[in-house]
Amino acid sequence: MRSGVQVSGRLSAAGASNALELRGVTKRFGALLALNDVSMTLRPGERRAVLGSNGAGKTTLFNCITGDFLPTAGEIRLYGEDITVFPPQERIRRGLRRTYQISLLFAGLSVLDNIYLACRGVLRRRFSMLRPGRNEPALLSAVDLVELAHLQEVRDSLVSHLSYGQQRQLEIAMALAGAPRLLLLDEPAAGLSPNERQALVEILQNLPEHIGYIIIEHDMDVALRVAEFVTMMHNGRVFKEGNPRELENDAEVQALYLGEVDG
Amino acid sequence: MRRFARLHPWWSVWIAIATLVLLYLTFAIWPPWLIGLIGKKKLFLNSLFNGITLGSLYFLIASGFTLIFGLMRNVNLAHGSLYMMGGYIGYLIGDWTGYWLLAFPVAFMVVGLFGVILQYFVFRRMEGEDIRQTLVTIGISIVLADIMLWAFGGDFYNISPPSWLSGPIETIFVTGVKRSSGDLIYLKYPLVRLAIFAASLAIGLGMWLAINRTRIGMLIRAGVDDRDILSASGIRVQFVFVAVFAFGAGLAGMAGVVGGTFQSIAPGEDIRFLLASLVVVIVGGMGSIPGAALGAVIIGIAEQFGSVYFPTYAVVVTFLIMVLVLAFRPTGLLGRN
Amino acid sequence: MAQVVTTETTPQSRSMFGRIPAAYWLFGAFLLVLPSFASNFVMYQIFGWSFILGMIALSLMFLAGYGGMFSLAQMTVAGLAGYVVAICGTSAITDISQNWPWYVNIPAALLIAAIFATVVGWLAVRTEGIYTIMITLAVASAFFYFTRQNYVLFNGFSGFNGVFPPQLFGVDWRHPVAFYYLSLFWAAFWYFAVLYVSRSPMGLALQGIRDNPRRMSALGFDVTAHRVAAYTFAAFPAAIGGILLTWQSAQISPGTAGVGPVIDILVIAVIGGLRHPVGPFVGAFVYVILKSFSIDILVALGLGGERFQLLIGLGFLVIVFWSPDGLLGLWAKLRDLHRRDPLIGRLVRRL
Ligand SMILES: Nc1ncnc2c1ncn2[C@@H]1O[C@H](COP(=O)(O)OP(=O)(O)OP(=O)(O)O)[C@@H](O)[C@H]1O
Ligand SMILES: [Mg+2]
Repeated sequence: MRSGVQVSGRLSAAGASNALELRGVTKRFGALLALNDVSMTLRPGERRAVLGSNGAGKTTLFNCITGDFLPTAGEIRLYGEDITVFPPQERIRRGLRRTYQISLLFAGLSVLDNIYLACRGVLRRRFSMLRPGRNEPALLSAVDLVELAHLQEVRDSLVSHLSYGQQRQLEIAMALAGAPRLLLLDEPAAGLSPNERQALVEILQNLPEHIGYIIIEHDMDVALRVAEFVTMMHNGRVFKEGNPRELENDAEVQALYLGEVDG
Repeated sequence: MRRFARLHPWWSVWIAIATLVLLYLTFAIWPPWLIGLIGKKKLFLNSLFNGITLGSLYFLIASGFTLIFGLMRNVNLAHGSLYMMGGYIGYLIGDWTGYWLLAFPVAFMVVGLFGVILQYFVFRRMEGEDIRQTLVTIGISIVLADIMLWAFGGDFYNISPPSWLSGPIETIFVTGVKRSSGDLIYLKYPLVRLAIFAASLAIGLGMWLAINRTRIGMLIRAGVDDRDILSASGIRVQFVFVAVFAFGAGLAGMAGVVGGTFQSIAPGEDIRFLLASLVVVIVGGMGSIPGAALGAVIIGIAEQFGSVYFPTYAVVVTFLIMVLVLAFRPTGLLGRN
Repeated sequence: MAQVVTTETTPQSRSMFGRIPAAYWLFGAFLLVLPSFASNFVMYQIFGWSFILGMIALSLMFLAGYGGMFSLAQMTVAGLAGYVVAICGTSAITDISQNWPWYVNIPAALLIAAIFATVVGWLAVRTEGIYTIMITLAVASAFFYFTRQNYVLFNGFSGFNGVFPPQLFGVDWRHPVAFYYLSLFWAAFWYFAVLYVSRSPMGLALQGIRDNPRRMSALGFDVTAHRVAAYTFAAFPAAIGGILLTWQSAQISPGTAGVGPVIDILVIAVIGGLRHPVGPFVGAFVYVILKSFSIDILVALGLGGERFQLLIGLGFLVIVFWSPDGLLGLWAKLRDLHRRDPLIGRLVRRL
């Protein structure tokens, strides 16, 4: 009861129904305006693709949402709560997850250990000095995730020995650990073979309904199959938003993809 | 400066007050109550100047250390050994030739050459492996210390300055008033220390100019800010690295001559001066040359005042400064976040 | 930074005793029966000292090997614990020593050492990894100079002598056999403790932080807190080592935790290998053997008997250059070489 009251109290602050809300998020690197007044709203469970040319600011947007960088200006709300200045771990504990464009994995640990750490990170007793028992929930869900990502064969290998595609799959599995509510997927399909791409699309399509995500994807085909809404970014700004069909036929978007617009 | 004042109003006020107090203490004729409170003005001025000259010695050592660290991420824990090497070389040169001044360029060149060898044959092979490089510098310092102990034994070596630099001179600073005649008494201060201070100042300014006004200086600054820029710009990075390492090592060698002149060279001094430069660089900000200057003066003055006014806790004063800086500004006073 | 310490194989057996080879059992038995044939010198000086130095180096191995944090303050933590035992317990300096019973002064020593290590850790971890060495070296030397100048508490230059272990259970713990077993027990205890913790959430988190701190915080871990906690944990083996070291020589003085010993601990851990908790003990054994027989070795090499530092420094350089994983890494390389003999093409007897 009490926790319910707390949550609703927190939610009523603003925009209770939104999973993510960005208002005027701006990020400067010296003279470079990597994000320029970006506003965006995501419903719970909404699946969105972010498109945009190289250097459009997509990854920087993710970094601001996860707290890797603090935005220069603007406000970020996660399920109604203002998380603009929270450290990354606090955001993760509230159900946010991400993958990285360039895999950031623990090279000196095994695949299972990598996923186990991901599962452990959002549970209590992170400082425990007791080894996990065979039936520890985090270990069990780590084993499940190994299967989900089709990594059983390399379960006990060091991550540094995995192939590129396997590392990308491991990235996804780690983002699915715990009870995610919103995933940020940074070009998960980049560099994958057609088969691996297909597997990725299936994993995303089979996610439970309440899990929403933002996926950065250059490949229109993949993006359109897994997203119901598309945001185009250009030069740090939101350039256009709409559903996939609209954008696909939009002249400006096509022009941008052919490199004819530059401001 | 105005920007700093706008960003940190409280800091500016404190710095201004401290500067005024210091100016008053240095130039005023002290009233009796002040003398009753903190002792004679002569003692104060002497510690202040000793602190500044010690600081300038520290700066000579620490600036090379911080430059090497800033550019190559190499925490050169053999820097103290380079200092000591310079000291011994300076002694030998002074002893053989009788020319004190000759000791400086020779120490600079020999130790600098040693730096070239280190960078070219050792550290170049482990670029990017910060920790391993540092471990190697530890090994080198152990070996060098023992070789020098082997060669020179445990004695103290003093490099004597030439006669035209020895002895004190009268300065413009008033320490008090003669009670009998009402004449002002002026502070007498060893000339050699003043000369060393002036030389450090010149070297510091020279470095500042070199780094801010020359092409290679620009490269170094760019490299300290972002090492990728350096390798992306297509310059021969290795050349810049070797040059900087040699320069830093040479400075440490020259500092050894300075240290051997107004203190002495003996086993253990390498560690002492390594630690001093560590603390200076931690306080001032790692990788920053103005930071090294600021840190050196702060630590030099703190050490001298500590040993005069609270002799038992002199080390604690230095250490406390370091801890406070680390606690509130982990990257040092002038370090970048 | 991870290059030095990257683990080659992760032991995945989750049961502790499942796959221990017979050689290990034999080695354990050998250590247990050693007093029946070894001389007092061997037990007390060689093995006792190796275990103690090994424990202190183990605390560094825990921080550096698992956490990527090269703390040079571990010998200082050990020295502080030794000092507290001397100050709170009994020593020949009766003006200062408080004569508290062992069940007060030993916990006090552990507690104070842990608090000190935590503060040092907190100071050291908020900057980039490479600064850790500088900051902890500065802290260690500040401690050295402070103890040397402070007479009220630390009795200055001469420190404390006559610091003996308590006569617990009617045993004289400074007797070579008793001391051997005492130090063996604690060395084994901390060896297994570190091994065990390395596979716990805390230990795995530390290894994750070593490999990739940014990702760890993106998994929900508080990186700084974990690093500081590692310093706290590592204080305990160091502190116990420090107490035993004080008892062994019956004295503690500034030189015990001077810059030389501080560097020696790093040398020991690196020579042994930072990949596995056994490394520090291997390193400590080699160090002690070299130190005890350096004169003979050096004379055999045609050098003066006093060139121990040169020997250890060169050995250290050789290891850092050619085998970043220490003697352990060398051993692993040799073993692999022998397993896959290119000429015969089949399994070859191990070394
Ligand atoms: N840490 C940083 N420091 C300085 N500039 C940065 C940093 N991170 C990103 N940038 C700059 O910000 C701009 C946006 O980069 P970002 O990585 O967000 O682009 P992106 O849309 O993800 O591009 P890509 O499709 O190549 O991944 C780029 O010009 C980049 O150089
Ligand atoms: Mg990107």
